[in-house]
Amino acid sequence: MKKFDYFQPETLKDAYSLIEKSNGSYIYIAGGTDLIANIKNRLIQPDALISLRRIKEISGITQNKDLTLGSMTLLRDIEKDSHIGQNYPALAQAVKILATPQIRNVATIGGNLCNSAPSADCAPPLLVLEASVTLEGPGGQRSIAIEDFFMGPGQTCMNMSEILTRIRITPPGENTGMAFLKVGRVSTDIAIVNAAACLTMEKNVCRKCRLSVGAVAPVPLRLRSVEKMIEGQEISPELLNRAGKMVEEEVKPITDVRSTSGYRRIMSGVLIKRAIEEAIRRMEQNK
Amino acid sequence: MKKIIDFTLNGREVSAEVESHKMLLQVLRDTFQLTGTKDGCGQGECGACTVLVDGISINSCLYPAFEVDGKSVTTIEGLVGEGNKLHPIQEAFVENGGIQCGFCTPGMIMSAKALLDENPDPTDEELKKGISGNLCRCTGYVQIVDSIRKAAKSLK
Repeated sequence: MKKFDYFQPETLKDAYSLIEKSNGSYIYIAGGTDLIANIKNRLIQPDALISLRRIKEISGITQNKDLTLGSMTLLRDIEKDSHIGQNYPALAQAVKILATPQIRNVATIGGNLCNSAPSADCAPPLLVLEASVTLEGPGGQRSIAIEDFFMGPGQTCMNMSEILTRIRITPPGENTGMAFLKVGRVSTDIAIVNAAACLTMEKNVCRKCRLSVGAVAPVPLRLRSVEKMIEGQEISPELLNRAGKMVEEEVKPITDVRSTSGYRRIMSGVLIKRAIEEAIRRMEQNK
Repeated sequence: MKKIIDFTLNGREVSAEVESHKMLLQVLRDTFQLTGTKDGCGQGECGACTVLVDGISINSCLYPAFEVDGKSVTTIEGLVGEGNKLHPIQEAFVENGGIQCGFCTPGMIMSAKALLDENPDPTDEELKKGISGNLCRCTGYVQIVDSIRKAAKSLK
């Protein structure tokens, strides 16, 4: 493994000044559970890591009008937060089955997003909740929709000196249910396919539908055309089958060590159907 | 880049000069000669390197050593009581055949410790999830689960 320096700034400003000095050879590190493995595997060879763990202002969970998650909030803390479990069950479920206890005790939600893995389990729930992310850098801050954040495998819209600081979610309204589902080789493995759904219902008719699948395209996908087809309709087995077929056509999966593109394609349709059913079931339970 | 880090190791205040690219695992094994913690996959997959930092289980192979500055680390060596008396979890592993080749055992026991500290009375499902980050290459999971179940009883 290549040697690297390790800095532990306590403020965002100190972090920026370190990265600006580095000419692109330093990178930020959050929990590091993927990044350290990547360094060991020589996929990246930075001269130094700038740890964000001591920057207190970008950690923690607060619910005012919106739910705000500091980017350095541990997956463990999201998993154990009863308010999130109750009100944002799709996110709670994603975090609960992500990797192993030891990883969740160290990994952060911001790190999961910034890796920009197509299979990132936190992405589909945040996509269907229409979360926004705040990116801060030496030049100031900007807030963008999570949908615009991912650019490709390992690539985000952030520049080198920017830090993802906060994730903001507006609580979904009444009569809303949501779900996250995942298939993997074993429970602790990276997803073969993952999916989330968030539906607002008026009796049997779907008023608002948000759908997302992951690990079946270069970025986690929002399924806008499928959402549009479902909104205003009564949820029926026929409609779900049509939705499943549409999902199969929209995804662009690859074959890798975990699965084949064919299996991923079929499972993405199946998972979306199941996620919609599960979301409606949850909504009815909460009435 | 080097730095002196101060932390609590198995209840003792220690300090060591470490290099910035070292992981906690290397510091434990090389600097402190605590070789109970094992170097397995080095990727956070197998759990053989599991230790507790401030009471929480982590993969020490992925944990930069600089980050333990000011924290408290517990390794398998730290579980042994006065007069070299084994911890009840260790005893349960010995008595119930929870050990075959033994390589995964320290990590498995540290995960069990973290689980039982947080949830003294886990269901079988919770117990299995608690050790989902630890692989046993001998595949002796039935005895391992049994050992932790019995340890939970004796710790009550």
